[in-house]
Amino acid sequence: MTLFSWIYMAIAWSLIIAVNVFCFVRSFGNKRPPSGHDV
Amino acid sequence: MPGFDALRRDVYNSRGFMGWGEGERGMAFSNDRTGWATRFGLVMAMAGNAVGLGNFLRFPGKAAPYGGAFMVPYFLALVLLGIPLMWMEWTIGRHGGTFGHGSTPGMFHRLWNRPISKYLGIFGILLPAMVGIYYIYIESWSLGYAWQTLVGSYWGKGTQEEMSQVFVNYLGMGAGEGSQVSFSAQSYLFFLVAFVLNIVIMSLAISKGIEVVAKYCMPLLLLLGMVLAIRVLTLPPMEVTQVVDGVATTRTFSITDGLAQIWRVDDWSVLKEPAIWLTATGQIFFTLSVGLGMVHSYASYLRKQHDLTLSGLTACAANEFVEVILGGTIVIPAAVVFFGVAGMQQTVEKGIFAIGFQALPVIFQQMPGGRVFGTMWFVLLFLAGLTSSMAMFTPLLLFLEDELRVPRRKAAAMIGVAVFLMMQPVILFMHRGVVDELDYWMGDFGLVLFGAIEAVVFAWIFGMKRGWREMHVGAELRVPRIFYYVMKYITPVYAVALVAWYVRSGLWDKIAMKGVAPENVPYLWLARGMILSVAAFLLWGIWHAWRTHPRLFEKTETEAASQ
Repeated sequence: MTLFSWIYMAIAWSLIIAVNVFCFVRSFGNKRPPSGHDV
Repeated sequence: MPGFDALRRDVYNSRGFMGWGEGERGMAFSNDRTGWATRFGLVMAMAGNAVGLGNFLRFPGKAAPYGGAFMVPYFLALVLLGIPLMWMEWTIGRHGGTFGHGSTPGMFHRLWNRPISKYLGIFGILLPAMVGIYYIYIESWSLGYAWQTLVGSYWGKGTQEEMSQVFVNYLGMGAGEGSQVSFSAQSYLFFLVAFVLNIVIMSLAISKGIEVVAKYCMPLLLLLGMVLAIRVLTLPPMEVTQVVDGVATTRTFSITDGLAQIWRVDDWSVLKEPAIWLTATGQIFFTLSVGLGMVHSYASYLRKQHDLTLSGLTACAANEFVEVILGGTIVIPAAVVFFGVAGMQQTVEKGIFAIGFQALPVIFQQMPGGRVFGTMWFVLLFLAGLTSSMAMFTPLLLFLEDELRVPRRKAAAMIGVAVFLMMQPVILFMHRGVVDELDYWMGDFGLVLFGAIEAVVFAWIFGMKRGWREMHVGAELRVPRIFYYVMKYITPVYAVALVAWYVRSGLWDKIAMKGVAPENVPYLWLARGMILSVAAFLLWGIWHAWRTHPRLFEKTETEAASQ
C-alpha cells in the first residue's frame, strides 16, 4: 500500500462512517424533534 | 411552493395522531394492512433489502481487477444515480401507498395518469419476482455450507481444486458432461428450508414478518461482518508460492497487500475504459436494489407524513458501510494473504462463487478457529441473502392483494406454489445456463432499464418540482438543493445512457443467443418462456384490475387540484 492508497482508503472509510453516524444519530438520537416515531 | 420548515411544522403538528404502527396503511384508500411498527424496523428492513450477497461477493469481485480506480466511478454512480434513485423510489412508494397501491403499476398510474403508465410498472413486480426465483436457491447454498462448515464435512479438502469438486458435488453437477439434470438431495433439502422460510416471512403482516426478521438479523449480520473483518485484518503475513506464467515464485504477503488490491491505484488511465464505468454503475444498481420495485413496496407502508429523506439516506449509508468497509475487507485481503496476488486474481477470474464457496473454505481450514469463522461467514451470507430475498415477492403479493383483491394468505399460497414450480428448472437445469439467462435479463439489464424508466417518469413526467415537494413532506433531512438538479437532469440522462450502452454492447448478441452451445438453447428458451409467462399474467392482471375496480384508480380531488 502506498501512502496515497492509505489516505484514499482513510478518506473513503471516514466519509462512510461519518455519514452513518450522522444518519443514525439524527434518526434515533435524542436530539431529534419529538416526532412520535417509535411506539 | 411552501418552505421546508413550513412542511416540517405541518407534519410534526399532525404526528400526535399519525405515528408509527397505529393503524391503517395509507390515507385516502387505506385498507386493512398495518404499517411499519418502528422506524428502526423500517430502516433495518430497507438496509437489509439492499445488503445482500452482492455486498460480500460481487463487490470485491468487481472492484479487485481494477484496484482503487474502480472506487471513482463507484462513488460517482452512488451520488449521481444510486442515492437519487433511492429517494425517488421511496417517494414513489410512499406516494402510491397513500392511495392504497403497494406495487408499481398503481404507483405509476398515480404519477402519470395515462393508460400506458400502469403497464410500465410491470417491471417493478416482474424483476424482483424472477430474481427471487434463483436468488433463494443461491442463498440456500450459504445455509448448506454453514452446516457443512459447522460439522466439518469438507474438512481435509485443502486445495481450491478439491473445494471446487465439493461445490460441484453439492450442486449435483458432478455426474459428468452428459448429465441431464443437476440435482443433489443435500442442496435440495437446504433449498426447501430457505424457500419455506422466505414464503412464511412474506405471508405475515409486514410488522410481524419482514420487520421482525430485519430487526434481529441486520444487527447480527453487522456483528458477524465486523468480527470477520477484524479477524482478517489481524492475519499474520504468510509465505506463499505463486505461479505466474509458469514461473514459481515465493514471497510473503500481508494484509496490506490485500487491502492494496481494493485501494491502490496503479493506473488511472483505466478510467478511460467504458467497462469500468459500466461495471461500477451496475454494482450500484445491484447493491442498493434500486430499479427492482422492492423499495417502492416497502415505502408504500409509510404514511404521508413519515420521513423518507433521512431514512433513505440511512439505509444507503448502512449498505455502503457493509459493502465498502466490511465487504472490501474480508474476501480479497484474505485471499491475497493465503494465495498471493496472482492466486487471488485467478480465483476472481473464475467468478464470485469461486471466491465465496471455494477459496474461503480453503482459507478457513488453514486459519486457527477456522470452523467457527467459516460458519460465521456462511451464516453472514445467508442472513444477507435472506434480508434481500424476503422482499422480492412482496411487490407481487401486494399487487395480488391491492389490485386483484386476493386475500393475503391466499395470495402468499398462490405465489408459493408458482415460485416453487418455477424454481425446479432453475435447480435442475442450472448447468445449462438457466440462472445466467434469468440473471442477465432480470437482475442485470432489467433493473437498469426500469431504473431509467422510473427516473424519467418521476423527474420529467410527474415533474421534479412536484417530486421534490412530495419527497420533502415529513422530511427530517433537507436534501441539498443541488440534488434537485441532479435528480432532474443527471440521474435520468445517466440512467438512459446506461440503457443505450447496454443495447450497444452486446444486447442483440444476447437476444440471438450468440455463442450459446446448441444443446443449451432450449433451456435458455425455457428461462425466457418463464419470464414471458409471468409478464403475460401481470399484463392480464393490470388490465383486469383496472377494468373490474375502476374506482380504485380514479383521480382524487387532491390529485386533481395539485395537477
